[in-house]
Order: sequence, then structure tokens, then C-alpha cells
Amino acid sequence: MTKHSILKADHQVKVYLDIRCRAIYCLPMKRTLLLFTLVAAMLTLVSCGRNRSTATTIQWWQFWTDTGIKPTIQDMVREFEATHPHIKVELVDLTWAEGHDKIAIAFSSGSGPDVVELGSDWISEFSSSGHLSDMTLAVDSNRKDFLMWEPGMYKSQIYSFPWILGTRVLFMNRDLLFRAGFGPDFSPADWNELLNASQQIRKLGSDIYGFGSNAAEKHRLYKKFLPFLWANGGEILSAEGTSCLLDAPPAVAALEYYIELCKSGLTDTQRRLEDAFLDGKVGFVISGDWLLKRIEQEKPQLPFATGLIPGPRPNSTASFAGGEYLAINAASTHKEAALELIRFICSPENQLRFCRVNRTANPSSVKAASDSLFRSQPHFDTFIRQMEKSKSTPVHPRWVYIEAELEKGIENALYGDKTPREALTEAKTKIEALLAQ
Amino acid sequence: MRYPGKGRGWLLFSPWILTFLLFWLFPLIYSFVLSLTDYRLLSTETHSLGLANYGKLLSDPDFQSALKNSFIFVFGTIPFTTVISLGMALLLNNRFRGRSFFRAAYFMPSITAMVVMALIFSNLYSRGGYLYLLAQMAGLNPPANGFLLSQKTALPAIMAMDIWIASGYYMLLFLGGLQSIPLELYEASRIAGASRWQQFRYVTLPLLKPMTLFIIVINSIKSFQVFTEIFVMTKGGPLNATLTGVYFVYENGLRRFDFGYASAAAYIVFVIIAVASALQFKFLKTEWTA
Repeated sequence: MTKHSILKADHQVKVYLDIRCRAIYCLPMKRTLLLFTLVAAMLTLVSCGRNRSTATTIQWWQFWTDTGIKPTIQDMVREFEATHPHIKVELVDLTWAEGHDKIAIAFSSGSGPDVVELGSDWISEFSSSGHLSDMTLAVDSNRKDFLMWEPGMYKSQIYSFPWILGTRVLFMNRDLLFRAGFGPDFSPADWNELLNASQQIRKLGSDIYGFGSNAAEKHRLYKKFLPFLWANGGEILSAEGTSCLLDAPPAVAALEYYIELCKSGLTDTQRRLEDAFLDGKVGFVISGDWLLKRIEQEKPQLPFATGLIPGPRPNSTASFAGGEYLAINAASTHKEAALELIRFICSPENQLRFCRVNRTANPSSVKAASDSLFRSQPHFDTFIRQMEKSKSTPVHPRWVYIEAELEKGIENALYGDKTPREALTEAKTKIEALLAQ
Repeated sequence: MRYPGKGRGWLLFSPWILTFLLFWLFPLIYSFVLSLTDYRLLSTETHSLGLANYGKLLSDPDFQSALKNSFIFVFGTIPFTTVISLGMALLLNNRFRGRSFFRAAYFMPSITAMVVMALIFSNLYSRGGYLYLLAQMAGLNPPANGFLLSQKTALPAIMAMDIWIASGYYMLLFLGGLQSIPLELYEASRIAGASRWQQFRYVTLPLLKPMTLFIIVINSIKSFQVFTEIFVMTKGGPLNATLTGVYFVYENGLRRFDFGYASAAAYIVFVIIAVASALQFKFLKTEWTA
């Protein structure tokens, strides 16, 4: 480049810059005014939203965003506002993907909603760290009317109210059972019958499996082992929560049985197991009421039945239960209004309404659970009966760590790296180290 | 002509500066401070621990396998990705019909969302999936429950997917590098009697040095930070076989909210990446300029 052309280019750049700068800095007066007005209007709107009237406004964070059920939630809130004119409810939707983080961050910064929906396995971390309001006295009179208070309790105080519960039952493929020589009313009554049926079904073909067992899938696998552990009289922790009982004979026997059962089964992720069940490739899966919904929508002609998860002996069933709970933020300044909302949402009538619309089988209300709705719909009564023999995981502030060790133990045995006894003894040692911290 | 003062320039600059300070530099420094404490998101009190988190990490078997897997991932994918992408770039640098179609086709996987790719491959790799059946037909005897559920094959399977996805992107970078090589050099070398191999060895390769270095460094960093694939496909399992450094940080930070411990782990990963990048710059530069 010659000196001349450099100078010329430099000049061009200067002219260009000058035009750009004018455009940015010499905004016409009108536009500036418009901008100013817009900002002012936004600020006013924001402040209006904050203190609308003298009525108490409470915020409720909830997870039901599906278009099937969201209108029902909105209706319930509207009715609540109509019957409680002094309370306004602000509904905020959360998603399963990020809701937990949002709640944790809000709590840790001292803010957050007045009422929050929590999954049963999240409650202990929030209650043990003092972020939930103790509602023991307020709900004392309701204790008998609702099921499953345990996951919401910490140090014998109640921190959240059971709302919609869920348990897992045994789903079986009638067609495969029939082809394997079992009658139309057969439902395995104990472990032996389940194992035998699973092995017979496995013989039907190379791509037909007996029992659908979860592979090493984090936060899922242990939930599948627990029904077997509990039915056999085993426990994860002692009643006082000071020692781990996973190396006790009932626990070891349960894991040995589970692994034996997996041998005639399909080992895969929960989602793919359910796919295989829909395809008629697997005889038994343990699953929740969401599978009922899926079968209804995707494969209504599937010949299936539901039954209680068998235990080692007849009538020794157990299952894993969880559910949705409603809790009050310890930092809330409207705790009474919050409790009123919770009582309203959890009332037997509203639970029934919710279950009917959402095809959910397990309300927490005893009265709602005894309604004819659940008897009149096929399979719902299995869930109601299984719920009576269901438990949830122990409440402990370090549960996520305990869960990881338990799962590692099951995986070790499942992959044949260790015998069930070795794997569970190792898990026990690690869990007790966690308990001692 | 009148120009606005210098201050206004800073004003224009400030959105970037502010986000950089607030969302990048501050968290970076603050996470180091956190790594010296037992800070947990939901706890009310925090204690200073000094370097205890770092000591605990180095003896944590989970973290050890996480680092081991990260290294396997990096060393197992980068040679393949680099060679394959260079090969594809050389092929597509020739003139032939349908060249742009192949360029676009090879690049496609890199612009598809990783979550989508990971979900598709989860199916391909599982029992009854296409890749599983292909392996069966080839007599390879794939693991009974699919590639992702076996300790032996889970990590290699994810690595193979990653090579497939990443190669197209690096191919594009190599193509850019190839096209910046002046044609005169090829002409001159041909006149001097160089064979095609000699042209490649003494013209193409040396002139691709800067691009190769860039690709290896960027790819090492990206591979060491592998997360999405693991999160979607295996969650670090089975039995930690696919647990990587960044997934370890996620599990401890965002699932267990043990921010102090997770920050310390993140810093170790950060230092490893920084040292590895510095080494690569040093070695690859001196070796090639010599």
C-alpha cells in the first residue's frame, strides 16, 4: 500500500466513524423522550405489581405445567381466592429440569415463595437446613386424615404437607404369562412364584424377557431394590438413624434374590424397560401410575394386569412411595395464609378432582383414597392397596450421599464385581462413615 | 469534525466489561475462595478449611476415576479426531461434483444440539439399536445390555460418538487452513519435482501448523470439559466408568450443593487444562519451527 492510499483509507474510516457516532449520540429528541417514557412506564408497572392492594399476596411455586392439569390448578386457585377474599395467590410454574436448583438458590438467598411444592426426596435437605416452616402444631388435628407424613418430617417435627402421592406396583403381561402356562388370574404371590414365572417367560424366545430390572441408572436403581429389601424385613438405617443395617441377613438375602431375578430379565434403563413392556417383550416391570397413562395413550390393546409387588412370603408386599408435598418457606411473612392455601389444595374434594383429571391413583387424603373413583377404574385399586404397604426412604440431611453409596453397592453386585454380601458390607461401612460426620 | 470524548467509548464498551467482571472474573475468583471453605448452598454457617478440600479430593477414589476417565477421553479422542478431520479436509479440498454437499453433510453433526445427538446415540447403542445390531452382525459380540450399560464399553462408546460429531467441525477449520496455503508453493514444488506425498509432507503439513495447534488445543479443552454426553447418556455410570472431571463437579456442586468441594474440584480441572494447553503451545511450536 502506498502512503497515499493509507491516508485515503484513514480519511474514509474517520468519515465513517463520524457518521456512526452522530447516529448514536445525536439521537433525535423525540426518540429520547419515547425511550424515557417507556422506561418510566415499565417502572410504574413493576411497582404496581408489588403492592397492588391491601390483600395479602402469597406466592406458590408448583410443577404442574402440563396443559392437561394446569387449568385445574388455576381453577382451584381461583376458587380459593373467591372463598378467601383477603388472600391473592400468585402462581409460578417450575420445571423438573431446573426447579430444584431454583428452589435451593431462592432459599439460600433468603427469598423464595410462601408455598412451595417439593418432591418427597427433596424435603429433608430443606427441612434439616432450617428453610421450611415447622407446621407440627397447626396440622396436628389432620394427622389421621392424611397418609405418608414421614418424608415431610425431621426430628419428629412436620415440615410439609402430603399432597399427591405415588407408589410402584407390579405390571404383568397377561399374554406372555398365558403362553408360559399361567392362568388368567395368576399374580405372583411370593418371590418364588415371581422368579419361576420370570424364568418360564424367558424360555418363550430369545428376545422375550421375564423381569424388567433397572441397569446402573443413577437415582433410579435403588428405588427398585428397596421393595425387596423392605418386604424381607430389611432396613437401610436403624430406627435412630445412627447405624446402617445393609449388611444384615434380610438385606443380603434380598439383594441375592434381586440379582437372581435379573438373570431371567431384561436389564435396561427405566424408560427403555417401559418401552419393552409396551412392545410385549417383557413379562414384569415395576412402575408407577404414569405407565397406566402411557399404555392408555400408546397401546390400549396391551393385555396387561397389575398386582402387588410380591414379598418373600405371601402377603409380605412392600413398595417404594414418594410424592408431592406442599411446604411453607420459613422466611415467609404470610405463613397463615400459606397454610390456608395448602389446606384448601389438599382437601379431599380437591385431591379427588386432581386425581380424576390427571389420572393419578394415590391421593394423600384417606377420605379421597376411599372414594369410589378408585374402585371404579381398573388398576387404581392396586395402587391404593399397594400404598398401604409402601414406605419412603429415611429422612437424613446427608441422604443424597447415603443414596449414592447404596446404589454403588447394588451396582457392584449387579455387575458381578462383588458378591451381594461384600457389596452391602462395603456400602454399610461407607454409610456409617457418613452418619458419623 | 468533533468526536465524542473518550469516556463515551468506555460507556459503549461497558456492557461487555461489566458482564465480564460480574459473570466471569468475579465467579472465577470467588469460587477459589469458596474452594477453601465448607460452603454448602443451604447451610447457614461456613467455615474456612484451608486446603483440606484439595487434600480430600486427591484421596477421593471417585475423583481419581473422574480424572482418569477425563484423560482417557482426551488422549483417546484427539488423535482420531485430528487425523480424521484432516483426512476429510484433504479429500474435500479437491474439486469434484457434490463437494459442497459432502462439506455440509460432514459439518451437520456439529451444529445439531448435543442433547439430541446423545439421545439418538443412546438408542443406537442400546440392545436392539442399529449400532448394536451392526456390531452383532460383524461378529463383535457386544455386551448383553448394550454398550452404555457395560463398564468396559460405555466410555469408548461415548468417545466414538464424540469423534464422529467433532470431526466435521475440525474438518471445516482444516479446510480454512488448506485454502489459505498459496497455490504458488504447490506449483513451485511440482516444478522442483516433488511427489504428491512430498508436497503434503513439506508444504501442506508445515503450513497447517498454526491451525493444527489451534485445533489440538481447543479440542483438548473441549474434551476435558466433556459433560452433556455424560449427563444425557450415562450420568457417570455404570460404576463410575464414565465419570469425568466436569461431571464430578456437577454432581457435587449442583446435586449435593457441596459448593466448597465442587469448587476445589473445578479448580483442579482448571489447572490441569491450563497446564496442558501451555505444554501443547510450547511443544508443538518448538518442534515445528525447528
